[in-house]
Amino acid sequence: MTGKTGAASGALYLHILVLAIVIVSELIGIQRLPIGIGTVIFLPILYAFALGIVFNPAIFKASAKFLSRDAVKLSGAMITVAIMPFIAKFGTTVGPQISKIIEAGPALVLQELGNLGTIIVAFPVAVFLLKMGREAVGATYSIDREPNLALIADKYGLNSPEGAGAMGVYATGTLIGTFVFAIMPPIIHGLGIFDVRALAMSCGVGSGSMLAACTGGLVAAVPDQKDIILALAAASNILTYATGLYVGMFVALPLTEWLYNKARPSERRTAA
Amino acid sequence: MTNQNTSANYADDLPLNPEDERKLDVVGHAGLLLIACAIGLVANWVGTGTSPLTALPGMAALYVACIIGLALARFVPFYLPSVAWVSLIAILITIPGVPGAAWVSEKVEHLNFLALATPALAYGGLALTASEFAIARRSGWKIVIVAICVMVGTYMGSVVVADLFLRLGQ
Repeated sequence: MTGKTGAASGALYLHILVLAIVIVSELIGIQRLPIGIGTVIFLPILYAFALGIVFNPAIFKASAKFLSRDAVKLSGAMITVAIMPFIAKFGTTVGPQISKIIEAGPALVLQELGNLGTIIVAFPVAVFLLKMGREAVGATYSIDREPNLALIADKYGLNSPEGAGAMGVYATGTLIGTFVFAIMPPIIHGLGIFDVRALAMSCGVGSGSMLAACTGGLVAAVPDQKDIILALAAASNILTYATGLYVGMFVALPLTEWLYNKARPSERRTAA
Repeated sequence: MTNQNTSANYADDLPLNPEDERKLDVVGHAGLLLIACAIGLVANWVGTGTSPLTALPGMAALYVACIIGLALARFVPFYLPSVAWVSLIAILITIPGVPGAAWVSEKVEHLNFLALATPALAYGGLALTASEFAIARRSGWKIVIVAICVMVGTYMGSVVVADLFLRLGQ
């Protein structure tokens, strides 16, 4: 711990820097880039995150003069605090739409199991195409946000191969997840195959920034459906908060383990 | 500060301990939340042109919902993340028929949902630690490909299941 005045001024610089980043990001606003198969949508949250990285003391050495280690720690704590008004605003979109949410209930609940799609898509790529080892188990069993990472840490330890895989996807997802989730849904909507309600309720993957990016992109693409998009996304995100850890623990991780042992019988080992 | 049972040193600053919320300092968070809400009002102002004064009652309602959610996460004897509690409170106070629901719904209408996420992402970019950059770099290009497949798979799996059951329900 540095002296109290030092910590206080570090905190002050942090909040002022964030305020400046927020103002610049909101001034740039939503930008649309039409490409052949759809429209790529750039959101203020993307610029805010990118500018945050630019001024991150680990990247931009001059920042370290103003932002102490404590200020960076505080910034980490502020993520979970600052996302709360957003989450609350999201919740308030559900109440007025509650009858439509209940109408979509079975789809809403069952799409949580659709999150296992990561195993169908990513596991074969990791194991057969990229020839990864047991890293693949940690990397592909879930979207590897905080609760999923905690489960891997608990079961294998983070310096195991499984832990390395999970942390790699966690860190990569932190860096590019907002971008991927802002770009993907409008393009998939452009295909014209899926109900926009399905695209909306799939936005709840248990990460606030991915939720914001996903719904932001969808609302920019289909503005007249804004209310139902927000309400369904909010409802599914709450379901993921409530069920994600348990689906990971009792379904996704055992399933990925089983698949890995089938794919690489020679490496078979019992889980610790 | 971090989980004792995590063995890797470089994982020290990864957010791994949901059970920490049980020891959460609600009063300290109330102050930090006030800062976040103030920056959120500015984001909303610049992004949508709605003056902070117009948006203030809605933000006050969200603030109260957050504090109640934090307190519930802290004191209720079973674990549910504070964001889940905050969501549930926010839903409850806007269900038609609940006293004040119409007022809350009308006031939060002045707040753009996406503008409220901007401050969190700015903090997120600044909070990345050298070890997080190092993990991403060391993991290499294979992990980047796998991570993209994970995100696409998680999303598309849900889309396909949801779409199927929406069609069946019609």
